[in-house]
Amino acid sequence: MSSPTTNTQNTLRSSRFRAEREVGWKELDSLITRAESQGMSSLRYEEAAALASLYRQAMNSLSVARSISMDKALLAYLEALCARAYLVVYAPQESIRGAVTRLFTTGIPRAVRRSTVPLLVGFLALIMGAIIGYILFSQDPEWFYSFVPSGLSDGRVPGASQEYLRGTLFDDGDRDHSDLGVFATFLFSHNTRIAIFIFALGVFAALPSFVLTFYNGLMLGAFWGMFAQAGLGYEVFGWLSIHGVTELSAIAVACAGGAQLGLAVLLPGNNTRREALRRAGPDAVKLMILAGLMLITAAIIEGFFRQLVQSTELRLFIGWGIGALWLAWLLLAGREMDHADRGQS
Amino acid sequence: MTGRKQDLIPPEGVPVSFQISSGGSRLGAQMLDIIITFGGVFALFVALIWMGLLSWAFMGTLFLLLIFLVRIPYYIFSELIWNGRTIGKKITHTRVVSADGGRLTPHQITARNLMKEVEVFMPLTTLLSGSFDSGWTGTFLTLWMLIVLAVPLINKRRQRLGDMIAGTLVVDQPKAILMPDLATKLMVDRVEFTFEPQHLDIYGRYELQTLEEILRAPPKTPEAVTRMSKVTQTIHRKIGYTDRILPEDHWHFLTDFYRQQREFLESKQLFGDARENKHHDMNKPKP
Repeated sequence: MSSPTTNTQNTLRSSRFRAEREVGWKELDSLITRAESQGMSSLRYEEAAALASLYRQAMNSLSVARSISMDKALLAYLEALCARAYLVVYAPQESIRGAVTRLFTTGIPRAVRRSTVPLLVGFLALIMGAIIGYILFSQDPEWFYSFVPSGLSDGRVPGASQEYLRGTLFDDGDRDHSDLGVFATFLFSHNTRIAIFIFALGVFAALPSFVLTFYNGLMLGAFWGMFAQAGLGYEVFGWLSIHGVTELSAIAVACAGGAQLGLAVLLPGNNTRREALRRAGPDAVKLMILAGLMLITAAIIEGFFRQLVQSTELRLFIGWGIGALWLAWLLLAGREMDHADRGQS
Repeated sequence: MTGRKQDLIPPEGVPVSFQISSGGSRLGAQMLDIIITFGGVFALFVALIWMGLLSWAFMGTLFLLLIFLVRIPYYIFSELIWNGRTIGKKITHTRVVSADGGRLTPHQITARNLMKEVEVFMPLTTLLSGSFDSGWTGTFLTLWMLIVLAVPLINKRRQRLGDMIAGTLVVDQPKAILMPDLATKLMVDRVEFTFEPQHLDIYGRYELQTLEEILRAPPKTPEAVTRMSKVTQTIHRKIGYTDRILPEDHWHFLTDFYRQQREFLESKQLFGDARENKHHDMNKPKP
């Protein structure tokens, strides 16, 4: 067993193993180092092909070394080498453009069609909120002050004169048109933050998302009730519709995304909660991206068109027309491949 | 609390282990990112105002847009482009990997960063705005934020909520340094010490690898030489080696012992007798 070696011939199996493969590891090492610093595109075709086979060889070496070698430094090296090579080989291969295209043509519409229940939760929260807000307001206008924060109402309170209220709906006068861009951007970033907030809160058992959306509904109901009392129900409907169809739907969609996560936590089914969350993730994120898109659109409409378009009929037409376009996209896009998928599975 | 390992299983089926990043480097990366992004926007605007080329309305639009972009979209796009690394993560040598061993998908990146809004930015802005004073709500908010912030500290893989939803982990960027093989490097033409099987039967893998660490740094100072001699004497006594060794031969004794011990253990392991450490034959009576 311990026969002395009288020449420089290496008798250690693990040393021979290493000596035979070391060249390949070093080559892999240099390829990865280049890919890490300059990106995969800096490798030529042959080098990229070599990377793949060297990676598999290194993986093989690691698995053999674990069973035959007692050399700690070697094991540590191979572990790190394989980990680095793994990160290079399994880097995301999709270009951002490809990912975005796929998201729009199939990803988002399908995610929406798959999430009927969370979407129902989102829209129900909003609509119930609006109805209850209106009913409470019509019983006692004092409710208005509890629902609508004073910063938002800006003098539009119960008992304000009809002329003043009408003025808030149809003023274009003093606002300089170059400011509209600032206004639109502000609306967009403010609303998106709220939507992300609603979405992210969903993970806490969906309740906070629901409550926030419901509260948004309450505000809406009370607001509408107040204008309706002043005899401006139709006008305010147009004023809200032009951007609200898109914006409020976006809030409901963000709530649905949150609800998707919350439902996974509440009702994980046969999976662990962590696993259920992971599975709900993709659709929830797509809903959130959709909400973001809708909010950008809504902000542009609210920032520019609501000030520029003054007729209620046109406002209604634009608002609901855009709503119909959203619906058409979400219901129709990516259909044919749906069937193709089903055929395969 | 470092040294937590996590095995990922790539499609090749050989587990690769990664070091889970420490809480400190996570926090550091996050703080660096915030300083870089918000500091960058601030510096840009100081420069723009100083140059005075743009109208206020346009600057307002730009400002709001940039402040929005450096919150969530910055993290999503940088992690997409640099394969799970933001600038802060590059500096702290950490990166995001997919916990299932596959490649990191765009939706994982988006999911983990959307959750940043509640996990990072909301507590931060609330802290900065100082709106804690309102009694019951304030206490509730503080408590809730503490829970959210504690999640990555108390779970085993240091995942944030966003990481759990996305199925991602934050690990240290592995560094590979190939050390020379001791068995070949230290090989001399003649072997001065020969060990019999009963000498090699004592130790196991753990002791061998500890000896490897000692041998990787040859003693330079007198104290180190003394320590090395002490190791030699301990091994000499423990394995029951009978020949005397001269102090100048201590290093040779250790290198010879290392190689022969390694050969012995490796061939034992090959035949199914894996010896983790010196307690491998506790149940057998010692000779």
